[in-house]
Parts: sequence; C-alpha cells; structure tokens
Amino acid sequence: MESGQPPEAPTPATAPAAQKVWDVPTRLVHWTLAIGIATSWWSVENKQMDIHYWSGLTVLGLLVFRLYWGFGGPETARFSHFIKGPAAVFGYIPKLFSKNYRAAFGHNPLGALSVVALLLAIIVQVGLGLFASDTDGLFAGPLNRHIDYDIAKDVTDFHEDFFNVLFALILLHFAAIAFYIVVKRINLIGPMLTGKRRGANLTGPAKGIEPIPLWRLGIGVALAVGVVWFVAR
Amino acid sequence: MKMKLFATAAILALGLAACGGGEPAPAEPTPVAEAPAPAPEVAPAATTEIGAAPADIPAFMKTRHDNYEDIGKNMKVLQDNMKLDAPDMAAVTAAATKIKDYAAQMGTWFPAGTGPESGIKTEAKAEIWTDRATFDGTVVKLQEESGKLAATADAAAFKAQFPVMGGTCKGCHDKFRQEDK
Repeated sequence: MESGQPPEAPTPATAPAAQKVWDVPTRLVHWTLAIGIATSWWSVENKQMDIHYWSGLTVLGLLVFRLYWGFGGPETARFSHFIKGPAAVFGYIPKLFSKNYRAAFGHNPLGALSVVALLLAIIVQVGLGLFASDTDGLFAGPLNRHIDYDIAKDVTDFHEDFFNVLFALILLHFAAIAFYIVVKRINLIGPMLTGKRRGANLTGPAKGIEPIPLWRLGIGVALAVGVVWFVAR
Repeated sequence: MKMKLFATAAILALGLAACGGGEPAPAEPTPVAEAPAPAPEVAPAATTEIGAAPADIPAFMKTRHDNYEDIGKNMKVLQDNMKLDAPDMAAVTAAATKIKDYAAQMGTWFPAGTGPESGIKTEAKAEIWTDRATFDGTVVKLQEESGKLAATADAAAFKAQFPVMGGTCKGCHDKFRQEDK
C-alpha cells in the first residue's frame, strides 16, 4: 500500500570483515580425509583391496599430520584451543539458542567433542585396518603378518563392525552442519573451503588465525610420511 | 548416497554379526594329510557330477568349513612371506603344498544337500550346484595354480605365482561364495 519507501537495501558501505578461521593444511587434511574415508569405504565394498590398502595408508598419514597439527598448527587447529571441559560444553548449549548467539572462532565446545570423537574413531579404524586381512587371504594390512590367523580374523571382523561407529559419527557431523545452516543460518562448509568467515558477529581476533612458519608444516609432513613409510615398509 | 551408505553399513553390520567370518563349509571332506602329498603333478579331479548327500550333513559341512579355515591359515603363511625380502621358502612350500592337497579333493566337498538348502549357515551359494561345470572349472584352476606354487623353488617365482593362485581363489569366491554380510 504505502509504497514510496523502497525496501531496506542491505548494502553495507563496509563489507563485513573476513576472518581467517581455517588454515590451508587443516582444510586440505579435512577434505582429503573425507575423500580417503569415502574411497576406503567404496573400495572395500567393491573388493578393490589394493585401492583399500593405499587409501587406508593415506588416511593414516593424514591422521598423523592432523594429530601433530593439533599441537603445532594455528590456534583453531590446536587441541588446547578447542577441547573444553564439561562446564564449557554444557554452558554452550543455552548460548546456542540465545538470541545474540555468536559463531565460535574455530570449533565450538560441543563441536569439539565431535572432532575428538571422529579423530578417535579414525585412529581405531585405521589401527585395526593395519592388522586386518581380506577374506580371500590375498590382501592384508601391512602389520597383519605380526599377528596370527585367528586374531587377525577377529581384528578384521572388528574393523568391519567398527566402520558403523565411524559412519554414525560422520552422519552426526553432517546433521550438525545441517542444523547450523537451517536453524542458525550459519554456513560451516564455506569457511572449511575458503578458510574465511564473513559476518558481523564474529568472535576471536578480527583478523583470525596467525600464520604458521613453514618449517612447522614441514615437520608435520615429514612425520606423516615417515610413519606411513615405517608401517608399510 | 548417505542412505545407500547407511544401508550398506547396516547390512554389513548385520552380516558381521551373523558369522565370525567362516568360509563356505565343506561337508565332510577328509582333512588333508599332514605330510605333503608326494604326487608332484596335480590330478585335477574334475568331477562334473554332484555326489550323493552325505549321511551326516552338518558334520560334513563343519569339516568343509574347517578345511577352508585351514586353507586360510596357510594363505596367511604365504601372505606373510610375500612381505618379506627373503621369504622362508620351506614354509612357503609346505603351505602351498597343503593348499594344493586341499584343492585336489575340493571337487568332492560339495555333494548334494550341503548347500544353503541345508538350513545350516554356509557361505556356499546355490550356484555351486546349479552351475557345476563352471564351479569345477574354478577348482581345476586352483589345482593347477596351487600346484605351480608348491613347485616354486625361489622367492621370485613364489612372489610371482602367489597372486596368480590367489586370483583363482578370488575368482571362485566372487561367483560362488556369499560373503557373510
């Protein structure tokens, strides 16, 4: 009715600041880990055990790097930054539903639990896989020869079963991302791709994470490659 | 994708719960003699006939299962040695000979009444009985390739032949074995 006033055009003179939340190695490891796990699942379902062998070892390398990066990486990748006690975790839930909710700088205390659970599950799954053997007796994990047949069979069964635990955690991860998009209108996938978060209600330092010297990255890569080489040799 | 993944995972879980990973259980095949059979050549017992049902079907199937388990154990010996720069050729020959001996009698492990219709948990598919000629063909292949493996004298020959023999296992499993999932 009363036109005249154009709808408020939200064209802020100053674009919202872009805060860097995820560094390149963390993002790269995240996505390659996703691909590695998907490949491991696909290959074993399709009896491509040679692919499974190498995708599993790739996951191992990525895992080693990520664990190291939890100490040597930038703030948001560090375990000491995001692993919080029960008080912070429970305190986060009412905050999540409060009006002036602010997205966390990196992992929030609840999401951190999911990260830890996923990492632990991957450790277990990869660890079991190193000792497992396929049912034809043709392919075996690199450490399979150190255990005997009956134990290897149990380990292999557990390796197969345990995927369900990992898979459930992955589904929970997806569900949480969907929740943030749908309910909180916060896109978590974008920052994991670009490394940056835009918005007015950021927390943490305005610029985001500090750069990490290259030598620290080098140590992580060497460590990951070294562990995989040591295991597979 | 997710759903498919989930469904697969669920099926996987169910299957896993179902069986401790047994192989198709042969009915009452006599366990292979401990001593490596002296016969240097494999005598492929290509029986295109399906034998009569054994008297004690469950016992027969249990023995068949145990025999496949034992083949699995010997496969592991071979697999372990594959990873060594200097394989223990005595162990390799012993394991390969055992597999060869099992293979020689494998054609008799699937008489009438010892398939899924027995109601006993087995990974043996009904196709073993409906497509007997193909099945026997795969058994003959295993006999030939395990014979060659048992005859390998050096590490290089062993490492070249093991995957070939293993391929015959897989070839048969893919067609005739219902994985316990």
